[in-house]
Amino acid sequence: MDKLLRNKKVIFIFVAPALILFTLVLFIPIGTSFYYALCNYDKATRSYHFIGLGNFTKLAKDPTMRIALKNSLFFLFFSCISQLVMGLLLAALLTNITKGRNLFKNVIYLPCVLSSAALGLLWAFLFHAKVGINNLLLQIGIKGPGWLFETKGFITLPMWVIAFVALWQYVGQSMMLYMAQISGISKSLYEASYIDGASKTKAFRYITLPLVKPMIGTAMSLNAIGSLKFFDLIYAMLGDKTENLKMDVLATYLYRTGFSSKGGNHYGKASAIGVVLVVLCLLATWIINKLFKTENYEM
Amino acid sequence: MNKKKKIKASTVVIYVFLSLMLVLYLAPLVWIGLTSFKSRPEIYKAPFGWPTAFHFENYAMAWKAGRLGIAMMNSLFVCVITLILTMVIGSMAAFAIARMRWKLAGAAMVYILIGMMIPVHCVLIPLFVRFAKIGLSNNLWGLILPYLTFSLPTCVFIMAGFFRSIPNELLESACMDGCSIFQMFFKICFPLARTGLFVTGLMTFIGNWNELLLALVFVSDDTKKTLPVALTKFVTPYQTNYDKMFPAIMIAIIPTIVVYCMFSNQIVDGLTTGAVKG
Repeated sequence: MDKLLRNKKVIFIFVAPALILFTLVLFIPIGTSFYYALCNYDKATRSYHFIGLGNFTKLAKDPTMRIALKNSLFFLFFSCISQLVMGLLLAALLTNITKGRNLFKNVIYLPCVLSSAALGLLWAFLFHAKVGINNLLLQIGIKGPGWLFETKGFITLPMWVIAFVALWQYVGQSMMLYMAQISGISKSLYEASYIDGASKTKAFRYITLPLVKPMIGTAMSLNAIGSLKFFDLIYAMLGDKTENLKMDVLATYLYRTGFSSKGGNHYGKASAIGVVLVVLCLLATWIINKLFKTENYEM
Repeated sequence: MNKKKKIKASTVVIYVFLSLMLVLYLAPLVWIGLTSFKSRPEIYKAPFGWPTAFHFENYAMAWKAGRLGIAMMNSLFVCVITLILTMVIGSMAAFAIARMRWKLAGAAMVYILIGMMIPVHCVLIPLFVRFAKIGLSNNLWGLILPYLTFSLPTCVFIMAGFFRSIPNELLESACMDGCSIFQMFFKICFPLARTGLFVTGLMTFIGNWNELLLALVFVSDDTKKTLPVALTKFVTPYQTNYDKMFPAIMIAIIPTIVVYCMFSNQIVDGLTTGAVKG
């Protein structure tokens, strides 16, 4: 048995495909990406010239980059906080009821598995300036705002709309994670607290919350990475209009800089945005893990 | 003890709140289903009313105009191949990491799990440039490769958990009976980890079915577009054909909804186990 499991040749056959794929499609390109970020891409000759940190200094002065960064950070904070609050609330409510729990759970989770592109188109229509929700508001005599076409304010209205749509779509994920953690807490803990005279809210505050804390870290890092990567929904809802509406996030700006027909093919600059994105992802995960690092309680 | 059930005020509040959430989640989907049957003037005039007549031809028009047939086939092709390859490659690697004895098993696991944290965006440009050179751009295989790579970490992670839970005695007795390592893997461990395979399979499939960014960048040929990309084409800078767009949205989400309704419990459990163990 031992000999069988130590067979080097077989191990190699089993692991090699995965590792080779990883190296070729993930790790070498990441290295290349960091190198491209330090280069200027010449479209005519299709060559790269090393220019050091030039792309980054250019980005630092780029007003669109500032908007993209601001919007991405807004998404990051909004989704971390709103998903935490809504996810925990829904999880706590769902674990407290018995009838219909699965129904509620499955329905709220449903949008997570649906295509963001499709849902984005749907919401874009609902928040259309003339038809959609505004049509409904008009019938009761309210003239609705232009929803996706307002450009006033530090965080513009479309940002809020899209942030809420994203919350609607993805809160199921956080809810699931918290539910799994809460249902893992032993019932005897709650019974003991009720005998000692604790109310439900107190039990939630002093038993559920501390025991859920490790999961908050996991769920929040998933949210953070997800919101920094945020692309599908915003692209589906606004398409190429992101620039005019000052609605770029890092991912859409990267896409436009690298591949759009207008901005096109600034591979060096786009790679630099990619590097900023990765650094932000790692930083956010690291900070969140620091914040929510706790000892694991015996449950 | 008083066995009569008392309905507490708090329970009522909870149910009212959750029912409101239910409406918030289901209403848009029901509404889009209804609207997809409306004629174009009606969509503008009465977007929220019950359709006056059911225009089934909307679906046929959308299917043709958006070339959804081709898009659907492309999506199926890419997702099925990715699914099969992920299952095979991923579970082989997971088996070697979880059950076989070698020094670098831990390191290999970490190497693969790093892939979970890295966003696709960051490898987009190098991959695009490289693929253009070796003829993989505008080619469905150029989508399959990155999809496969980015699906592997979750698969390896979940499958490793399942392989670890197989009792040692079972493998030992198989070994006594003269089982080779390949038989052990394909005839014993693979079937035993069916649940894990099923869950990772569904997740991989759904994730790739919905993927937009890579599909948008790597494929520019109209005949090779996947479904999400085909959907975004219904919105042009100048006008939007809502009477075709809504049926197209329905065509895109109905398969997922059907699969979800059939397997929702497994999907939900699988997603949670995947993340909880992390």
